[in-house]
Amino acid sequence: MSTESKPPRYRVEPHARFRVMGDEGVFVLQEAGEVLVVNAVGAFIVEQLQAERSVEEIVIAITDRYAVDQDRARADARSLLDALLGAGAIRQA
Amino acid sequence: MSELSIEFAGARYRFAGLNPAQDGLVRARFRALICRDDAKPDVRIDIHFDPNSAAFMRRPSGPVEYPFAVVPGHESIAVAGAGFTANIDRSPFRAQMQTCLSDDWFVAAFENLFRIIACHRLFNEGALVMHSAAFTDGARGFLFCGRSGAGKTTLCGLAEALDLEILSDELNAIRPRGGSFELLAMPFAGDFGGEPRRHPPYPLTGLLGLRQGGATSLSVCSKAEAVSRIVASCPYLNADPQLVDELASRAERLVQRHGLRILAFTKDTGFWKVLDNEYREQAAAVSR
Repeated sequence: MSTESKPPRYRVEPHARFRVMGDEGVFVLQEAGEVLVVNAVGAFIVEQLQAERSVEEIVIAITDRYAVDQDRARADARSLLDALLGAGAIRQA
Repeated sequence: MSELSIEFAGARYRFAGLNPAQDGLVRARFRALICRDDAKPDVRIDIHFDPNSAAFMRRPSGPVEYPFAVVPGHESIAVAGAGFTANIDRSPFRAQMQTCLSDDWFVAAFENLFRIIACHRLFNEGALVMHSAAFTDGARGFLFCGRSGAGKTTLCGLAEALDLEILSDELNAIRPRGGSFELLAMPFAGDFGGEPRRHPPYPLTGLLGLRQGGATSLSVCSKAEAVSRIVASCPYLNADPQLVDELASRAERLVQRHGLRILAFTKDTGFWKVLDNEYREQAAAVSR
Protein backbone atom coordinates (compact mmCIF):
# COMPACT_ATOMS: atom_id res chain seq x y z
CA MET A 1 0.00 0.00 0.00
CA SER A 2 1.42 3.34 -0.99
CA THR A 3 1.73 6.03 1.67
CA GLU A 4 2.72 8.71 -0.82
CA SER A 5 0.47 11.72 -0.46
CA LYS A 6 -0.57 13.75 -3.46
CA PRO A 7 0.06 17.49 -3.45
CA PRO A 8 -3.13 19.24 -2.36
CA ARG A 9 -5.39 20.72 -4.98
CA TYR A 10 -8.34 22.97 -4.48
CA ARG A 11 -11.27 23.81 -6.65
CA VAL A 12 -13.69 26.68 -6.70
CA GLU A 13 -17.06 25.77 -5.21
CA PRO A 14 -19.78 25.51 -7.87
CA HIS A 15 -21.85 28.18 -6.13
CA ALA A 16 -18.93 30.64 -6.06
CA ARG A 17 -18.66 32.72 -9.22
CA PHE A 18 -15.31 34.32 -9.89
CA ARG A 19 -14.38 37.01 -12.34
CA VAL A 20 -11.36 39.22 -12.88
CA MET A 21 -11.98 42.97 -12.88
CA GLY A 22 -9.09 45.21 -13.68
CA ASP A 23 -6.19 44.09 -11.50
CA GLU A 24 -8.41 42.40 -8.93
CA GLY A 25 -10.88 39.57 -8.72
CA VAL A 26 -14.39 39.26 -7.34
CA PHE A 27 -15.98 36.17 -5.87
CA VAL A 28 -19.76 36.12 -5.63
CA LEU A 29 -20.73 33.50 -3.05
CA GLN A 30 -24.19 32.90 -4.35
CA GLU A 31 -25.44 30.66 -1.51
CA ALA A 32 -24.57 33.24 1.10
CA GLY A 33 -25.19 36.33 -1.00
CA GLU A 34 -21.67 37.43 -0.02
CA VAL A 35 -18.99 38.98 -2.18
CA LEU A 36 -15.20 38.83 -1.73
CA VAL A 37 -12.55 40.90 -3.43
CA VAL A 38 -9.05 39.50 -3.95
CA ASN A 39 -6.02 41.50 -5.04
CA ALA A 40 -3.99 40.94 -8.20
CA VAL A 41 -1.93 38.09 -6.74
CA GLY A 42 -5.09 36.55 -5.33
CA ALA A 43 -6.81 36.76 -8.70
CA PHE A 44 -3.79 35.08 -10.30
CA ILE A 45 -3.90 32.28 -7.72
CA VAL A 46 -7.61 31.68 -8.28
CA GLU A 47 -7.05 31.52 -12.03
CA GLN A 48 -4.40 28.88 -11.39
CA LEU A 49 -6.88 26.93 -9.24
CA GLN A 50 -9.39 27.08 -12.05
CA ALA A 51 -6.71 25.62 -14.33
CA GLU A 52 -6.56 22.70 -11.86
CA ARG A 53 -2.99 23.36 -10.74
CA SER A 54 -1.72 21.98 -7.44
CA VAL A 55 -0.54 24.29 -4.68
CA GLU A 56 3.12 23.60 -5.51
CA GLU A 57 2.47 24.33 -9.20
CA ILE A 58 0.81 27.56 -8.17
CA VAL A 59 3.80 28.50 -5.99
CA ILE A 60 6.11 28.07 -8.98
CA ALA A 61 3.75 30.06 -11.20
CA ILE A 62 3.78 32.89 -8.65
CA THR A 63 7.58 32.98 -8.52
CA ASP A 64 7.68 32.98 -12.32
CA ARG A 65 5.29 35.90 -12.54
CA TYR A 66 6.20 37.99 -9.50
CA ALA A 67 9.64 38.77 -8.13
CA VAL A 68 9.28 36.70 -4.94
CA ASP A 69 11.00 33.61 -3.63
CA GLN A 70 9.22 30.30 -3.11
CA ASP A 71 8.83 30.70 0.65
CA ARG A 72 7.06 34.00 0.25
CA ALA A 73 4.94 32.68 -2.62
CA ARG A 74 3.97 29.62 -0.59
CA ALA A 75 3.04 31.73 2.44
CA ASP A 76 0.94 34.09 0.30
CA ALA A 77 -0.80 31.21 -1.44
CA ARG A 78 -1.46 29.42 1.86
CA SER A 79 -2.86 32.54 3.44
CA LEU A 80 -5.23 33.18 0.54
CA LEU A 81 -6.33 29.55 0.30
CA ASP A 82 -7.09 29.45 4.02
CA ALA A 83 -9.16 32.61 3.73
CA LEU A 84 -11.09 31.27 0.71
CA LEU A 85 -11.63 27.93 2.45
CA GLY A 86 -12.95 29.74 5.51
CA ALA A 87 -15.30 31.78 3.36
CA GLY A 88 -16.59 28.70 1.55
CA ALA A 89 -15.36 29.86 -1.83
CA ILE A 90 -13.13 26.83 -2.50
CA ARG A 91 -12.74 23.30 -1.24
CA GLN A 92 -10.03 20.68 -1.31
CA ALA A 93 -10.35 18.52 -4.44
CA MET B 1 -62.88 38.61 -3.01
CA SER B 2 -61.40 41.75 -4.52
CA GLU B 3 -58.58 42.87 -6.77
CA LEU B 4 -56.38 45.91 -6.55
CA SER B 5 -53.49 47.26 -8.59
CA ILE B 6 -50.34 48.97 -7.35
CA GLU B 7 -48.15 50.90 -9.76
CA PHE B 8 -44.60 52.11 -9.36
CA ALA B 9 -41.39 52.29 -11.38
CA GLY B 10 -43.40 51.89 -14.57
CA ALA B 11 -44.96 48.55 -13.67
CA ARG B 12 -48.45 47.61 -12.60
CA TYR B 13 -48.90 44.79 -10.09
CA ARG B 14 -52.39 43.33 -9.75
CA PHE B 15 -53.27 41.44 -6.58
CA ALA B 16 -56.34 39.24 -6.92
CA GLY B 17 -58.27 37.19 -4.38
CA LEU B 18 -57.92 39.50 -1.38
CA ASN B 19 -60.56 39.18 1.30
CA PRO B 20 -62.09 42.42 2.63
CA ALA B 21 -59.73 42.65 5.62
CA GLN B 22 -56.64 42.04 3.49
CA ASP B 23 -57.85 44.50 0.85
CA GLY B 24 -58.31 47.22 3.47
CA LEU B 25 -54.86 46.65 4.95
CA VAL B 26 -53.09 46.77 1.59
CA ARG B 27 -55.01 49.86 0.45
CA ALA B 28 -54.10 51.64 3.68
CA ARG B 29 -50.42 50.74 3.35
CA PHE B 30 -49.95 51.53 -0.35
CA ARG B 31 -52.62 54.24 -0.59
CA ALA B 32 -50.69 56.59 -2.88
CA LEU B 33 -49.72 53.88 -5.34
CA ILE B 34 -53.11 52.24 -5.85
CA CYS B 35 -54.20 52.68 -9.45
CA ARG B 36 -57.24 51.86 -11.54
CA ASP B 37 -57.69 48.26 -12.58
CA ASP B 38 -58.54 49.12 -16.18
CA ALA B 39 -55.20 48.29 -17.80
CA LYS B 40 -53.53 44.93 -18.24
CA PRO B 41 -51.15 44.34 -15.35
CA ASP B 42 -47.46 43.65 -15.86
CA VAL B 43 -47.51 41.15 -13.01
CA ARG B 44 -50.44 39.24 -11.57
CA ILE B 45 -50.35 37.91 -8.01
CA ASP B 46 -53.14 35.57 -6.92
CA ILE B 47 -53.83 35.37 -3.21
CA HIS B 48 -55.62 32.39 -1.70
CA PHE B 49 -56.87 32.73 1.84
CA ASP B 50 -56.77 29.49 3.82
CA PRO B 51 -57.92 29.87 7.44
CA ASN B 52 -56.18 26.64 8.47
CA SER B 53 -53.18 28.15 10.26
CA ALA B 54 -51.75 24.68 10.97
CA ALA B 55 -50.82 24.48 7.29
CA PHE B 56 -48.33 27.36 7.64
CA MET B 57 -45.23 28.31 9.58
CA ARG B 58 -46.20 29.51 13.05
CA ARG B 59 -45.90 33.13 14.07
CA PRO B 60 -42.90 33.64 16.31
CA SER B 61 -43.55 35.05 19.74
CA GLY B 62 -41.83 38.17 21.00
CA PRO B 63 -40.52 41.22 19.18
CA VAL B 64 -38.67 39.62 16.29
CA GLU B 65 -38.23 40.59 12.67
CA TYR B 66 -40.65 38.92 10.31
CA PRO B 67 -38.98 35.61 9.41
CA PHE B 68 -39.14 34.19 5.91
CA ALA B 69 -37.10 32.07 3.52
CA VAL B 70 -36.53 32.35 -0.22
CA VAL B 71 -35.47 29.35 -2.27
CA PRO B 72 -34.72 30.00 -5.93
CA GLY B 73 -35.55 27.06 -8.17
CA HIS B 74 -35.16 26.43 -11.87
CA GLU B 75 -38.65 27.47 -12.92
CA SER B 76 -39.91 29.27 -9.87
CA ILE B 77 -38.88 30.86 -6.60
CA ALA B 78 -40.41 29.47 -3.42
CA VAL B 79 -41.04 31.80 -0.50
CA ALA B 80 -42.28 30.83 2.94
CA GLY B 81 -42.81 32.85 6.09
CA ALA B 82 -44.97 32.94 9.18
CA GLY B 83 -48.51 32.37 8.00
CA PHE B 84 -47.86 32.17 4.28
CA THR B 85 -46.23 30.35 1.41
CA ALA B 86 -45.76 31.68 -2.11
CA ASN B 87 -44.44 30.74 -5.48
CA ILE B 88 -43.05 33.15 -8.05
CA ASP B 89 -43.02 31.71 -11.57
CA ARG B 90 -40.12 32.90 -13.69
CA SER B 91 -41.89 32.64 -17.04
CA PRO B 92 -44.52 33.87 -17.48
CA PHE B 93 -43.67 36.08 -14.56
CA ARG B 94 -46.47 35.81 -11.98
CA ALA B 95 -46.98 34.75 -8.36
CA GLN B 96 -49.35 32.90 -6.08
CA MET B 97 -49.62 33.38 -2.33
CA GLN B 98 -51.37 31.11 0.15
CA THR B 99 -51.99 32.60 3.57
CA CYS B 100 -54.00 32.27 6.75
CA LEU B 101 -53.36 35.91 7.69
CA SER B 102 -55.83 38.79 7.64
CA ASP B 103 -54.39 41.11 10.27
CA ASP B 104 -51.25 43.24 10.63
CA TRP B 105 -49.16 40.15 10.04
CA PHE B 106 -50.67 39.95 6.60
CA VAL B 107 -49.23 43.37 5.78
CA ALA B 108 -45.77 42.16 6.81
CA ALA B 109 -46.11 38.98 4.76
CA PHE B 110 -47.54 40.87 1.80
CA GLU B 111 -44.82 43.52 1.86
CA ASN B 112 -42.02 40.98 2.13
CA LEU B 113 -43.37 38.99 -0.78
CA PHE B 114 -43.99 42.15 -2.79
CA ARG B 115 -40.34 43.19 -2.31
CA ILE B 116 -39.12 39.93 -3.78
CA ILE B 117 -41.56 40.09 -6.68
CA ALA B 118 -40.61 43.71 -7.41
CA CYS B 119 -36.87 42.92 -7.26
CA HIS B 120 -37.28 40.18 -9.83
CA ARG B 121 -39.68 42.14 -12.03
CA LEU B 122 -37.31 45.12 -12.18
CA PHE B 123 -34.32 42.86 -12.78
CA ASN B 124 -36.21 41.28 -15.69
CA GLU B 125 -36.58 44.81 -17.08
CA GLY B 126 -32.83 45.48 -16.93
CA ALA B 127 -32.68 47.19 -13.52
CA LEU B 128 -30.65 46.53 -10.40
CA VAL B 129 -32.47 46.68 -7.08
CA MET B 130 -30.21 47.51 -4.20
CA HIS B 131 -30.33 47.71 -0.43
CA SER B 132 -29.67 51.41 -0.38
CA ALA B 133 -30.65 54.86 0.74
CA ALA B 134 -31.54 57.34 -1.95
CA PHE B 135 -32.51 60.99 -2.04
CA THR B 136 -32.85 63.78 -4.54
CA ASP B 137 -32.46 67.53 -4.53
CA GLY B 138 -35.22 67.63 -7.14
CA ALA B 139 -32.89 67.39 -10.13
CA ARG B 140 -30.16 64.94 -9.20
CA GLY B 141 -30.50 61.47 -7.71
CA PHE B 142 -28.01 60.06 -5.19
CA LEU B 143 -27.89 56.42 -4.17
CA PHE B 144 -25.90 55.02 -1.25
CA CYS B 145 -25.65 51.26 -1.21
CA GLY B 146 -24.96 49.19 1.86
CA ARG B 147 -26.41 46.52 4.03
CA SER B 148 -27.92 46.93 7.47
CA GLY B 149 -25.74 49.01 9.75
CA ALA B 150 -24.00 50.86 6.93
CA GLY B 151 -25.60 54.16 7.92
CA LYS B 152 -28.42 54.42 5.37
CA THR B 153 -31.12 55.42 7.83
CA THR B 154 -28.79 57.84 9.62
CA LEU B 155 -27.93 59.50 6.33
CA CYS B 156 -31.61 59.78 5.39
CA GLY B 157 -32.33 61.52 8.69
CA LEU B 158 -29.56 64.03 8.00
CA ALA B 159 -30.71 64.51 4.39
CA GLU B 160 -34.27 65.16 5.51
CA ALA B 161 -33.03 67.89 7.82
CA LEU B 162 -31.61 69.55 4.68
CA ASP B 163 -35.00 69.31 2.93
CA LEU B 164 -33.68 66.78 0.48
CA GLU B 165 -36.39 64.37 -0.66
CA ILE B 166 -35.93 60.83 0.59
CA LEU B 167 -36.87 58.08 -1.84
CA SER B 168 -36.20 55.13 0.48
CA ASP B 169 -33.72 54.20 3.19
CA GLU B 170 -34.14 50.53 2.32
CA LEU B 171 -34.54 49.57 -1.32
CA ASN B 172 -34.07 51.54 -4.53
CA ALA B 173 -33.55 50.60 -8.16
CA ILE B 174 -31.22 51.79 -10.91
CA ARG B 175 -32.21 51.28 -14.52
CA PRO B 176 -30.28 52.03 -17.71
CA ARG B 177 -31.88 54.76 -19.79
CA GLY B 178 -30.54 56.25 -23.01
CA GLY B 179 -26.87 55.60 -22.35
CA SER B 180 -27.13 56.69 -18.73
CA PHE B 181 -28.90 55.44 -15.61
CA GLU B 182 -31.99 56.57 -13.74
CA LEU B 183 -32.88 56.17 -10.11
CA LEU B 184 -36.26 54.65 -9.27
CA ALA B 185 -37.89 54.85 -5.87
CA MET B 186 -39.41 51.69 -4.46
CA PRO B 187 -42.27 51.78 -1.95
CA PHE B 188 -40.43 49.95 0.80
CA ALA B 189 -38.93 51.74 3.77
CA GLY B 190 -36.61 50.58 6.51
CA ASP B 191 -36.29 52.12 9.95
CA PHE B 192 -36.73 55.60 8.49
CA GLY B 193 -40.34 54.72 7.76
CA GLY B 194 -42.72 56.90 5.84
CA GLU B 195 -45.63 56.12 3.57
CA PRO B 196 -44.93 54.99 0.02
CA ARG B 197 -45.25 57.93 -2.41
CA ARG B 198 -45.17 58.36 -6.14
CA HIS B 199 -41.82 59.59 -7.40
CA PRO B 200 -40.68 60.27 -10.95
CA PRO B 201 -37.39 58.70 -12.03
CA TYR B 202 -34.36 60.88 -11.36
CA PRO B 203 -31.09 60.88 -13.28
CA LEU B 204 -28.53 58.96 -11.30
CA THR B 205 -25.89 61.52 -10.37
CA GLY B 206 -24.05 59.97 -7.45
CA LEU B 207 -23.47 56.28 -6.83
CA LEU B 208 -21.84 55.81 -3.46
CA GLY B 209 -20.97 53.41 -0.70
CA LEU B 210 -21.01 54.48 2.94
CA ARG B 211 -18.46 54.56 5.71
CA GLN B 212 -19.41 56.05 9.06
CA GLY B 213 -16.95 57.98 11.18
CA GLY B 214 -13.80 59.96 10.51
CA ALA B 215 -13.87 63.28 8.72
CA THR B 216 -16.45 63.77 6.01
CA SER B 217 -14.79 62.91 2.72
CA LEU B 218 -15.24 61.24 -0.63
CA SER B 219 -12.84 58.62 -1.91
CA VAL B 220 -12.66 56.40 -4.95
CA CYS B 221 -12.53 52.62 -4.81
CA SER B 222 -11.32 50.00 -7.24
CA LYS B 223 -13.61 48.57 -9.87
CA ALA B 224 -13.61 45.20 -8.11
CA GLU B 225 -14.56 46.72 -4.77
CA ALA B 226 -17.26 48.80 -6.43
CA VAL B 227 -18.77 45.78 -8.17
CA SER B 228 -18.57 43.73 -5.00
CA ARG B 229 -20.34 46.43 -3.00
CA ILE B 230 -23.12 46.62 -5.57
CA VAL B 231 -23.58 42.87 -5.93
CA ALA B 232 -23.56 42.41 -2.16
CA SER B 233 -26.30 45.04 -1.93
CA CYS B 234 -28.71 43.32 -4.33
CA PRO B 235 -31.00 41.18 -2.16
CA TYR B 236 -32.52 37.96 -3.50
CA LEU B 237 -30.84 38.45 -6.89
CA ASN B 238 -27.32 37.81 -5.56
CA ALA B 239 -28.46 34.50 -4.10
CA ASP B 240 -30.16 33.29 -7.27
CA PRO B 241 -27.90 30.99 -9.31
CA GLN B 242 -29.77 31.81 -12.51
CA LEU B 243 -29.26 35.53 -12.13
CA VAL B 244 -25.98 36.07 -10.35
CA ASP B 245 -23.74 36.14 -13.44
CA GLU B 246 -25.97 38.66 -15.20
CA LEU B 247 -26.13 40.65 -11.98
CA ALA B 248 -22.33 40.89 -11.80
CA SER B 249 -22.17 41.89 -15.48
CA ARG B 250 -24.72 44.65 -14.96
CA ALA B 251 -22.90 45.88 -11.88
CA GLU B 252 -19.71 46.01 -13.93
CA ARG B 253 -21.40 48.07 -16.65
CA LEU B 254 -22.82 50.42 -14.04
CA VAL B 255 -19.41 50.92 -12.46
CA GLN B 256 -17.85 51.41 -15.89
CA ARG B 257 -20.25 54.27 -16.54
CA HIS B 258 -20.55 55.81 -13.11
CA GLY B 259 -17.78 54.64 -10.82
CA LEU B 260 -18.59 54.29 -7.14
CA ARG B 261 -17.26 56.57 -4.45
CA ILE B 262 -17.14 56.02 -0.75
CA LEU B 263 -18.68 58.69 1.42
CA ALA B 264 -17.24 58.83 4.92
CA PHE B 265 -19.55 60.92 7.06
CA THR B 266 -20.18 62.05 10.58
CA LYS B 267 -23.57 62.62 12.14
CA ASP B 268 -24.02 66.14 10.83
CA THR B 269 -25.18 67.70 7.59
CA GLY B 270 -21.68 68.53 6.35
CA PHE B 271 -21.78 65.63 3.91
CA TRP B 272 -24.13 67.50 1.58
CA LYS B 273 -21.69 70.33 0.91
CA VAL B 274 -19.08 67.76 -0.09
CA LEU B 275 -21.48 65.87 -2.35
CA ASP B 276 -23.03 68.96 -3.87
CA ASN B 277 -19.64 70.44 -4.76
CA GLU B 278 -18.25 67.18 -6.08
CA TYR B 279 -21.13 66.37 -8.37
CA ARG B 280 -21.62 69.97 -9.48
CA GLU B 281 -18.00 70.04 -10.59
CA GLN B 282 -18.46 66.74 -12.39
CA ALA B 283 -21.51 68.02 -14.25
CA ALA B 284 -19.60 71.18 -15.22
CA ALA B 285 -16.66 69.12 -16.45
CA VAL B 286 -18.96 67.03 -18.62
CA SER B 287 -20.73 70.06 -20.05
CA ARG B 288 -17.41 71.69 -20.97
